[in-house]
Amino acid sequence: MTRPGLSFEQAPAFGLPLRFFLTAPSFLLLAALAAIPTADAWTASRWSPAALALTHLLTLGFLGQAMLGAMLQMLPVVIGSPVPRPRLTAVLGHIGLATGTLLLAAGLGWSHTTLLRTAMLCLAVGWLPFLAATAVSLARARTASTATLHPMRQAWFALLVTLALGFGLGGTLAGLWPAGPLQALTGLHAAWGLLGWVLMLVMGVAYQVVPMLQLTPVYPAPAVTWLTWTLLGGLGVLSFSTLTAKPDTGLMQAVVWLPVMAALAVFAGVTLWLQHRRRRKLADATLDFWRLAMLCLLTLTALPALAAVLPPVTRAPLETSAGLLFLLGFAVSVVNGMLYKIVPFLAWFHLQTQTGAKAGSIPNMKQFMPDSLARRHLWLHTVAVLLLLPAPWLPPDYAVAGLLPLAASAILLWLNLFGCMRLFRRHGGRLR
Amino acid sequence: MDDIVIDARWLEPPEPLERVLATLARRRRDQRVRLLLHREPYPLYDLLRQMGLAYDTQPSPDGTYVILIHPVDDRVS
Repeated sequence: MTRPGLSFEQAPAFGLPLRFFLTAPSFLLLAALAAIPTADAWTASRWSPAALALTHLLTLGFLGQAMLGAMLQMLPVVIGSPVPRPRLTAVLGHIGLATGTLLLAAGLGWSHTTLLRTAMLCLAVGWLPFLAATAVSLARARTASTATLHPMRQAWFALLVTLALGFGLGGTLAGLWPAGPLQALTGLHAAWGLLGWVLMLVMGVAYQVVPMLQLTPVYPAPAVTWLTWTLLGGLGVLSFSTLTAKPDTGLMQAVVWLPVMAALAVFAGVTLWLQHRRRRKLADATLDFWRLAMLCLLTLTALPALAAVLPPVTRAPLETSAGLLFLLGFAVSVVNGMLYKIVPFLAWFHLQTQTGAKAGSIPNMKQFMPDSLARRHLWLHTVAVLLLLPAPWLPPDYAVAGLLPLAASAILLWLNLFGCMRLFRRHGGRLR
Repeated sequence: MDDIVIDARWLEPPEPLERVLATLARRRRDQRVRLLLHREPYPLYDLLRQMGLAYDTQPSPDGTYVILIHPVDDRVS
């Protein structure tokens, strides 16, 4: 069978995903710094304006930038389907998301309606072209392997629901339309965003890149088939029960949360098991970032059981710790690990294609991103996560102990990525 | 004429790509390269098109992809 090669004109230039990857760490840095003076608010409640603002700096700012850039790059490579109009999609996505995130965080933090309205406009400019372009790419995908394609389509759908709920809630807070059940809808928005968009996308990517980059056996077929459907089913039942205002009964807990938590545990457990059985036992910072992420995901699945035995007064700090565990421990770790593979590979690949260089005449991947630099970041990030997890249980002043290493880790990530780009340009690489 | 066979299964990316490029640079112009890989190498296809080469990909039941790289006018057998 002869497969048509990708059109070179359609594949994104290095500069397109790179602008997202270089912007992402600045939002992590901003979140860490902004969390220092607001520690008394966000450690007390995940519903506080400060917690909502910081959450969006992490989800839209850091994770959103990294995932948007990665999807524009990975769709052509992993599922063999380029994104149409990549430059326009990237420019609008990058600027819309960056300005929209800053305005949204400010609007949420200070409860300012004009800022919130402007943020919604910017975010619409950023997300809508991306949603349309990726929909075309996912619909046209011609890959024989559905292992990644189905979760990516499911993640795309979850993103659509997350954004629809987000805009609905934003409009209410901005005074554009009447209030609905705010707290219940916020819970749904968070569930679709984190367990849907973030987790299902990570799963879809993991099914391809963990065996490919970490040289492990492939994921077992039942896991690939059923895990994301389980999450989607759980989110569907949760949405139905929320929208029909069914009480939060024990039966609902069993129907939704037991299968969802089991899916998280199976995904994390299987990934750790595959990594243990990898074919080359070489030390690798990406591998360790992923291991940290999976351990955090496993720990998260134990928290509902912990909540059942602890007194109700501990619910608020437990929820905030769970959020930190998912966002910083799981999602940020996975993104860090991926960036340390994607960016040096793209630098090497684009330099190769642009210069037609003979093997050995341009830097290899390890020279573009030495493992020692990535490992320094890994340690700093791990220390930050471990110090921040107990922060909601301790006096607010304690949080700074974890926020300073988090800020330093964001600076280190940016310096490492920037160094990679500088080496690329020094060898004659062009970003456009 | 013998094909050059590269077994790049389970090598860490981008080593398979580097091996193919090194082999293509030193092969005779009419010589074909048969690459064995544990996944489908979409990025390689870009490079082959750019170099004016054709390729045929056959997935095997054991999960190996066999990619035959040849000059555009060469008949595949």
